Amino acid sequence: MTRILGFLALAVFILLPLTQAVILSFTVTMPKPGAVPGEVALANYLAVFADPNLRSAILNSITYVLVNVILCLAVGLPAAYALARYSFIGDRHFLLLILVFRVTPPVVLSLPIFILFSQLGLVNSPLGIALVHCLFNLPVTIWILESFIRSVPREYDETVFLDGWSFPAFFFRFLIPQIAPGLGVAAFFCFIFSWVEVVFARILTVTAGKPITMAINAMFGFQTDIGMVMAMTCVSLVPGIAMIWIFRNHLARGFILRT
Amino acid sequence: MPPHDNRAWLLLIPALALLALVGVLPLLAVVNYGFHDIFSLADIHWVGVEWFADILGSDRFLASLGRSLLFAALVLLIQIPLGLVIARFLIGCGRGAVWGLMLCAIPLVVPWNMIPMLWLGLIDKQTGLLGPAVLASGFDYKETAIHTWILLLTVDTWHWIGLVVVLAYAGLSAIPHAYRQAAAIDGASRWDVFRHIELPRITRALGIVLLLRFVDSFMIYTEAFAINAGGPHDATRFLSIELGEEIKGFSYGQAAARATLYFLIVLTAVWAFVVAMRQKEPA
Repeated sequence: MTRILGFLALAVFILLPLTQAVILSFTVTMPKPGAVPGEVALANYLAVFADPNLRSAILNSITYVLVNVILCLAVGLPAAYALARYSFIGDRHFLLLILVFRVTPPVVLSLPIFILFSQLGLVNSPLGIALVHCLFNLPVTIWILESFIRSVPREYDETVFLDGWSFPAFFFRFLIPQIAPGLGVAAFFCFIFSWVEVVFARILTVTAGKPITMAINAMFGFQTDIGMVMAMTCVSLVPGIAMIWIFRNHLARGFILRT
Repeated sequence: MPPHDNRAWLLLIPALALLALVGVLPLLAVVNYGFHDIFSLADIHWVGVEWFADILGSDRFLASLGRSLLFAALVLLIQIPLGLVIARFLIGCGRGAVWGLMLCAIPLVVPWNMIPMLWLGLIDKQTGLLGPAVLASGFDYKETAIHTWILLLTVDTWHWIGLVVVLAYAGLSAIPHAYRQAAAIDGASRWDVFRHIELPRITRALGIVLLLRFVDSFMIYTEAFAINAGGPHDATRFLSIELGEEIKGFSYGQAAARATLYFLIVLTAVWAFVVAMRQKEPA
């Protein structure tokens, strides 16, 4: 009984703010074609998908998150392998370095990153955001993949090498299939931290390439159509909730820090 | 003990190159800007440690530092025990636990700038679902400092409790069930099991949560700015809000000096944390 009550309390606390958003998103708050204010209708959602700016914002967000995940996995996997399988001079310093960058507040680095990226022509493009989000996602990727590689016995690697496979072949044909769930978990946490980030996303998109977060910001104005804002917010939740659902059985792996 | 091989560095090259571009270079630039007065990128003057002396000597900085530390301390005091309680509760739910984890993870995928909006909408006196309760209780986050703090702490807890729960649950669920059974046979209470069996085995999992929650709440910006922009009467003027003001006011030199100081504070926290973690490690 207490168990059910506890679960209910948790559900109410988590879902209450979202309930209000969902209700508002189905309520017409400003006149739209074929809908009067106060009515319960899909008009807000139709308006979101009819707006080219919002459509491209959704696309921009998906693009930079995908690029970010691919970058983190591609760069993080070799590093995780090195840390899991060898000890070498400075390995602990490297772990300290990634920990420091994981926790450095974005607002500290936002100004020089803007200057540097505008010189490199990376402002207003999803690629710029994807790169800079590696700052906090790459460390998490390395921690997660390292723990997965560690759980594969070293003898496995040695057997493959004894069979005459080259190092790259070992990586792609043997290691990656072995730790596939790890790649999924890492992708999930990268997604979580990247999809919703605001500070870098704001500073790197001045005129174009705005992701969902910034598109929502731009919807606030003299007369804010709050129903439409909430519809856009609900749309932005869909990929995240889908990710949570897909990885529900791997959520519990979490990640731990290596020092 | 893994074999010693310095060629492993070759595998780190891509990661290092990426971190150099997005981390090391900008960091060096921030430190460098901190010693200059910057009107524009073409008009830069060396001012030495003037900005640093200004900031460290001002009462406002110390007051903000105190507020940020207090906020971070409260966040940890609330969220770590609460997260542990929820994770412990979910462990007891068996297969139902996954639903609880999914539930707790939902706030993590809400765009950060919408989190304060959702909560302000919820407690809006006219239209919010909690509006009547807010009216009846006289809760006024705009004018009463303590109420602003309560709201900020609630919003932050709502946002981040999922991370604490997921990582604490990950640590707890890795403990073999036999440990708990053995303790139960010995007649250990739930608290004893937690204190002597579970807690020592999840310190590593909790370590990263503690550090992440400390740094993120110490540097809270998005929520604090959206909810009351540092008010009422500077009661929620945190360190990050002062930095944001300087960047918006184009005082780039000061902003960079301030950012350098903040980075040093974070670095000190990380260092203290790593030293503590390595001491706990079996040699």
